[in-house]
Amino acid sequence: MATSTDSVELVGDEVTRNLARAALFAALMGAFAYVSFPNPLSPGIPVTLQVLGVFLAGIFLGPIWGGFAMVLYLLAGALGLPVFSGGSAGFGALVSQTGGYLVSYPFAAAVVGLGVHGVGDLADPRLVSVGRLVAAMVAGTVVIYTLGILGFWYVGDVGIVTAVVGAAVAFVPVEALKIAAAVGIVRSEAVAAR
Amino acid sequence: MLSYVPGDSLAHRLDPRTKLFVQVAFVLAAFAHTTVPGLAVLTVVALGCLALAGGSVRRTLWSYRYFLPFLLAGPLLEALTWGVPWVVLGDAVDPLLASYRVLLVFLVSGAYVRSTPVRDSRAAIQRLVPGKPGRLLGVGLSLVFRFLPVLKRDLFASRDAMRARLGEERPVHERMRIVATAGLNRAFGRADRLSVALRARCFAWNPTLPDLRFSRADAPAGTVGLLLVVWALV
Repeated sequence: MATSTDSVELVGDEVTRNLARAALFAALMGAFAYVSFPNPLSPGIPVTLQVLGVFLAGIFLGPIWGGFAMVLYLLAGALGLPVFSGGSAGFGALVSQTGGYLVSYPFAAAVVGLGVHGVGDLADPRLVSVGRLVAAMVAGTVVIYTLGILGFWYVGDVGIVTAVVGAAVAFVPVEALKIAAAVGIVRSEAVAAR
Repeated sequence: MLSYVPGDSLAHRLDPRTKLFVQVAFVLAAFAHTTVPGLAVLTVVALGCLALAGGSVRRTLWSYRYFLPFLLAGPLLEALTWGVPWVVLGDAVDPLLASYRVLLVFLVSGAYVRSTPVRDSRAAIQRLVPGKPGRLLGVGLSLVFRFLPVLKRDLFASRDAMRARLGEERPVHERMRIVATAGLNRAFGRADRLSVALRARCFAWNPTLPDLRFSRADAPAGTVGLLLVVWALV
């Protein structure tokens, strides 16, 4: 065992609390990959809660720890925890055609967090106006799809039109459902946010 | 499902840092040489990696089956064209090679996942990322690994409860809200209890990590990685 002989430096209370929340959130994000719902628009493609998880990370953990939670999620998946679609794992998922989506999650969570909380201390999400919540999540969705389409275009070596058709058109309408669900979660009294 | 399988293969005995390096080197080489001869060489390397880890091609690719439609979509959509002759097979060649290289990367990352236990991966990350960020990532990773099964069970339980109460009749976004709210509450409840427990046990920046040591077997593997990087750059 590699033993450190330096004097022990305790981790601060605030960091401990945020680290525990971010790690549990990353695990929840992984668990979301296993729960799918039928897609009302194209029945062949089931919807998972993953993008909803990105929104909620930004809303409940803020830009920094929300982004950190998504980094943990991606790293855990890349190192072998079965958290990507269909319970797959491995570095390969990040450099595949849909890798752009995965890579966008930390940025999107940070964008949603910034949109909801601004810079500085976190606000109580229940007190944030619905318009602001929806705008932040729409901005997050734009980040996800921009990087997703660019990833498909670059990795798949296809034209940009093919990338948009292949990677985005089938999925965009469903995001509205997730935004609606996220607003519902934030507004419900059930989640003890802070 | 793709996961770590205990074993005594050559890949199991390698240091995780070497295996991470070979993976990254393989990706660089695959993206730099997406040609028929280049991919032929890389096919041999990828099959070699998987064989050294004792994995099977069929099972590894099956675990990535959800990605395969996207691998096919590129070449198929690119071959289509508006107007006569509708299908131009020549346009599909480059996307097809691009998809094939991703398939090869899947095999190599499958070999890593199969041959590397979680605690080794965690120790490797903590050594590769210096200072406090590395320590936060290391602790965070082991917590994610620990809590995934628990939170999965929480989500399944709340979905089953919703089903039992005819929740399937509700619109989709309502059902997403119900399941996600339950999941969030459980996760935050567990996180708060966990942070109290961590503080009670003097959670410190000084962790005790499992020992990682390069062995003789790492030399040839590292050389393969170096060769791949050099080949990618020329």
